[in-house]
Amino acid sequence: MGLEKFKDRNVGIQQYKVVEHEAFPKSNAQKFARVMKRMVKGELFVGLWVTLRTMYQALFQDDMHTVKYPFEKLPISPRYRAIHEMLRLLESGHYRCIGCGLCEKICISDCIKIDTKYDENQRKEVTEYTINFGRCIFCGYCAEVCPELAIVHGGRYETSSQQRASFSIFEDMLTPIDALSSQKEYPGFGAVSPNADDNIKKTPLAY
Amino acid sequence: MDAIIIETIIKAIIVLSVIAALAGFGTFIERKVLAFMQRRLGPMHVGPFGLLQLAADGIKLFTKEDIIPQHANRLIFMIAPIITAATAFIALAAVPLLPEFTLFGYTVHPIVADLNVGILFILGAMASGLYGPLLAGMAQANKWGIIGSARTAILFMSYEVVTGLSLLAPIMLVGSLSLIDFNNAQSGGIGEWMVWQQPLAFILFLIAGFAETNRTPFDLLEHEAEVVSGYATEYSGMRWGMFFIGEYANMITIGFMASLIFFGGFNDLGFIPGFLAIILKVSFFFFLMLWVRASWPHVRPDQLMWLCWKVLMPIALLNVLITGLVMMV
Amino acid sequence: MSEITIKIDGREYKTQEGEYILNAARANDVFIPAICYLTRCSPTLACRICLVEADGKQVYACNAKVKEGMEVTVSTPNILKERRAIMEVYDVNHPLQCGVCDKSGECELQNYTLEIGVDSQSYSIPDTKRENTNWSSVLHYDAGLCIVCERCTTVCKDMIGDAAIKTGARGGEKLSKEAKDSMPKDAYAMWNKLQKSIIVPSNGTEHTNCSDCGECTAVCPVGALVSRDFVYSSNAWELERVPATCAHCSSGCQIYYEKKHTSIANPDEKIYRVTNEWNFVSLCGAGRFGYDFQNDVEGKDVEAFEQAINAFKKADTIKFNSAITNEEAFMLQLLKEKLGVKLINHDAKAFKDFLDSYSKASGSSLYGSDFREVMKSDFVISVGASLRNDNPNARYAFNNVQKMNKGAGLYFHPVGDMLVPTFGKSVEVFNHKVGQEEAVLYLILDLFGDKDKLPVQTKDYLASFHKTVKKTIKEKVMESVTSTVVDKETGESKEVTKKVPKMVDKEVEVDENGLVSILGGSDNFAETFEKMMKKKENFSLIIGEDLYFHPRARNLSRLVALIEDVCDMNLVMIPPRTNSLGVAMICNLDEEESGYIVGYNEHGHFRLGARGFSKLDIPALNQQEGTFVTMNKVVVPTNPALEYKGYELNDILNEFDIGLDETIDFTPKLARFDGFKDIEFDDLPNGYTNTGKENRGYIIDNISVEKQAVSVVEFNDSIVLEGEIAYRCNPQRQFNDFTDKSHQINEEFALYVSPSKAQTLEEEVEVEFDKDTTLKLKVVVDDRIDGDIVLVPDFKSHQNIYSIFGKDRYKTVTIKKG
Repeated sequence: MGLEKFKDRNVGIQQYKVVEHEAFPKSNAQKFARVMKRMVKGELFVGLWVTLRTMYQALFQDDMHTVKYPFEKLPISPRYRAIHEMLRLLESGHYRCIGCGLCEKICISDCIKIDTKYDENQRKEVTEYTINFGRCIFCGYCAEVCPELAIVHGGRYETSSQQRASFSIFEDMLTPIDALSSQKEYPGFGAVSPNADDNIKKTPLAY
Repeated sequence: MDAIIIETIIKAIIVLSVIAALAGFGTFIERKVLAFMQRRLGPMHVGPFGLLQLAADGIKLFTKEDIIPQHANRLIFMIAPIITAATAFIALAAVPLLPEFTLFGYTVHPIVADLNVGILFILGAMASGLYGPLLAGMAQANKWGIIGSARTAILFMSYEVVTGLSLLAPIMLVGSLSLIDFNNAQSGGIGEWMVWQQPLAFILFLIAGFAETNRTPFDLLEHEAEVVSGYATEYSGMRWGMFFIGEYANMITIGFMASLIFFGGFNDLGFIPGFLAIILKVSFFFFLMLWVRASWPHVRPDQLMWLCWKVLMPIALLNVLITGLVMMV
Repeated sequence: MSEITIKIDGREYKTQEGEYILNAARANDVFIPAICYLTRCSPTLACRICLVEADGKQVYACNAKVKEGMEVTVSTPNILKERRAIMEVYDVNHPLQCGVCDKSGECELQNYTLEIGVDSQSYSIPDTKRENTNWSSVLHYDAGLCIVCERCTTVCKDMIGDAAIKTGARGGEKLSKEAKDSMPKDAYAMWNKLQKSIIVPSNGTEHTNCSDCGECTAVCPVGALVSRDFVYSSNAWELERVPATCAHCSSGCQIYYEKKHTSIANPDEKIYRVTNEWNFVSLCGAGRFGYDFQNDVEGKDVEAFEQAINAFKKADTIKFNSAITNEEAFMLQLLKEKLGVKLINHDAKAFKDFLDSYSKASGSSLYGSDFREVMKSDFVISVGASLRNDNPNARYAFNNVQKMNKGAGLYFHPVGDMLVPTFGKSVEVFNHKVGQEEAVLYLILDLFGDKDKLPVQTKDYLASFHKTVKKTIKEKVMESVTSTVVDKETGESKEVTKKVPKMVDKEVEVDENGLVSILGGSDNFAETFEKMMKKKENFSLIIGEDLYFHPRARNLSRLVALIEDVCDMNLVMIPPRTNSLGVAMICNLDEEESGYIVGYNEHGHFRLGARGFSKLDIPALNQQEGTFVTMNKVVVPTNPALEYKGYELNDILNEFDIGLDETIDFTPKLARFDGFKDIEFDDLPNGYTNTGKENRGYIIDNISVEKQAVSVVEFNDSIVLEGEIAYRCNPQRQFNDFTDKSHQINEEFALYVSPSKAQTLEEEVEVEFDKDTTLKLKVVVDDRIDGDIVLVPDFKSHQNIYSIFGKDRYKTVTIKKG
């Protein structure tokens, strides 16, 4: 299933029919009549037909629903909140994080920690940044509060690990510098809304 | 005489190994067919299309630890699965599997023993298979097992009646208990198939056959939603595997009986040679059982008994009576 | 000052007469927005946001004084419009990088922008490039963030006295004409000034030449001024504040240690900075930057502890200094009582002797006043204290009196100082000879004393210095000339009245005071003094360490008592070290050390110390609970900022069965000594109220003692030192081993000399005290020293400087090529 199809599932719109229950047989004669009726009417064969048709469709009309999971993966929603990614600036390749500490402050499971320092370019340098994924509940507040769209939720959801050491540090989450060209602008939770321009007012720094 | 003994032993070994292998293969087919009917793929990873899955399962079953519960009756617990498997294969002894053929100038009758009371033997052997689940359930000191074995008793004994009565009418028509005679009686093409003369008997036999082989919708013996695994609750490894093989061998036996008694057996069917015709017919009945399992729900035990004693048995009796009347007239 | 009633927004409040409206409101918990105003400093009128309406007129609350029955309205529609415009102007070109700013979360610009509800911007102007600079080893100035509220310059001038920074030209674009017409008046005036100015070091270079106290970083409302070490190292909200007391000098300033984990990899807590209630207390460089002196130990060193116990068992002397808490002092006293050892503490001993002698002469156990009173006075005299080095708060008080109270000052000290004369126009400096301190006190008696109260002998002695001479002098006659001057910075024109002196020859009879000339005073001191005394009502005398370490300390103490008696002066003394006063009150100190010496933070045969190179580690003063007695005679509590894992003195006492469960269990037991009270440590407050009232600990009772009839003796010049003189005095920001350990305090252990003296010396010299004692020291130039006396620091305890100097603070030395 492609992303387009995935998005067009119309989840939530189903056409249910209400089944009318027939009266429950009371006498033995009625029960016998119902058995005979059902036998003759062939309701049983409807069931057989349905399964046979399904088998035909599955085998010959490409309607097999199995996803061979480790080899095939279903697309996930852009708003899915999986393992965090730290993005870079597309022009310079410098990481976007400015070390403001808002994610650290807002984190409700207290799993983000930042170390910063004053670097030789007179900028705030992030010396270390860790998220304890053993604690993270993937609520997405960090991505939402980030003023620079630097920390976002990626699509990496296979996150089981046997060691705490595997729980991430800055370099693990940062877009590799050679993969900069494939870095996508984050469309999900906390991203700038499409009509953001309409809502902009003159800020205190208008010039 | 010696030749017959040797021939019979060879036939028995071949039948045993081929049918046992087919039973194993049947599990694979069942899983595949059920999967397809549910839009799944079924086993796919071991071998091409998952074909070697049954080998993997076999290895697994053979190598698993043989666990016997502490308070079980050890001897009976150990014997019970053998009874099931053995009776299933014994029943096959009187079944002509293929038409006669000549191998290296020697005419082979692909039946282990052409008994003149074939049908009776088969029914008897299959019926004695009841002791497998019954003893297994009672020996394992487990409440689910007890319930399973009780269900076994009522199910097998009840439906034995229907099987017997439903087959009585065709037997009256053919006038023999040998399945080869049944086959020969229908050698005149599709028009002479017994099913046309005895449709009701066929339906009754089929329903009873489902029950005898413990298949959905009558698989009350090991209905996992109610009694965990019924008589097989405490079994594991190869002992559990023998129940399984017995069940599938029974399914094959029922398939052969239905084909031989009602559907013209291994007679040539137009351009289809006899041996292929019977394989196709048996395959269809095997598939039918899987198909039904994929489609229909279980019945309740009380419905099962009601169906047997109040519906099927009277109809079967009526059928015998009517057949007799027709024959007399 | 009498209590009056004013109305703010219709409600009645009581306040003091002569108070500014802003302070009156703050004291009564009424909020008036204000950015540039600093309590205890002069109003700057830079922000203009404290605009209120008083009796129907718009006034600045920081600048207008309350009157009886005054009706104040905090917000009128027009004022709200002004405030909104002012905040918008502050936000013009202020970088929106709160994310990286150190001040984010405690920024007054953020707070007021939100408080006043600035959600959009009406003004704009091209920005000027403003560079980040490092002004000194500790000061970092980000001009881009600066809103030129001038709090830093104000505090530097009015409180610290350095006046090391001032407003300079920014080179920004001129405001447009239409802005002037369209904008609210005050907002325009504020912007006009803001657009033209920036803060620069006042000496015209890139770097400030100041005492590196960092008070400017404390008062900065935005992130423009931050200490270099703290820049971008932590967000304000992450830091946990521990209220404490600065452990370095006897001021005992209230501070907050702000701490959090060291780094992600290291969860141990670390102090990131020290903050203070800058409206009410000003720190020095040692207090602000000397915080990382904690003693990091892995755990309890059982072996060393046993050695320590054995050492105490065979000890004859316990030697310590006064950088300890009262509780530690008490425990040492208990050890003395139990083990019969001698207690040696050089600084406290000298101070104690001086105090004892003083109280015998004066009849009270302690000096009569404190530094809060000194700050309120308008004439302050300092004797025997190197103000700049000995006690920063004494210096701030001296300076603040000049700036805020239109005060005058007299500074008596042998070592010339370039900074003190800059505190105010009415500061007169006497660089007398070493040993003439008695003459100084006689001069004070002569100048300020009520002659009728003096003993006849003394009165006659003073009179013997006076003689009447005829002199032709040139007299200055002041002529008032009024001219209109255009202020370059603001573009406003003012009428300035200047007094232009004219010289006129005149022959007069002059009373010549021999004491003045003995002390090296200027010839026209009498005239100067007359001017200084104009409109002065409240006098203070600061006594420093030179007098305690003086061959004739006893006579000096009697003279001091006599001055307090006859001159109506606030008398304060500067205890030489952090808790010298507490130790002097608690410990029974001995004269001479002998035998096996256990050094407690001091040099000895067995050394216990918090500095890290001792045999047994003890907690440093930021790692333990306890109390100090400050120079204001207040017992103040301090709390541990960091964990300490090793042994402490109480553990040793427990080995001798005289310890208690916790060190602070000794706090109420201090009541055993005169003046202390029976109050639990946990009941001691440590903070300030909105009025600026110090609410810390408790004040020590000044107990009356039996007054003994003592007489002062005449001075003679026999003890005056001549030749090469060394003065035991620490550089600024260095007080003890702990300041030395702090990484931001880098004044080294060296010989500090004036620039002129440095030219006669090599880079490294050998200072010979006597034949056996020499010190090899590097020569460091301190351009605020004047004269030939050289300064030998004593902050390193293992150098044993106190023993070298003995009972004096000055020594004649020979300086050789090193």
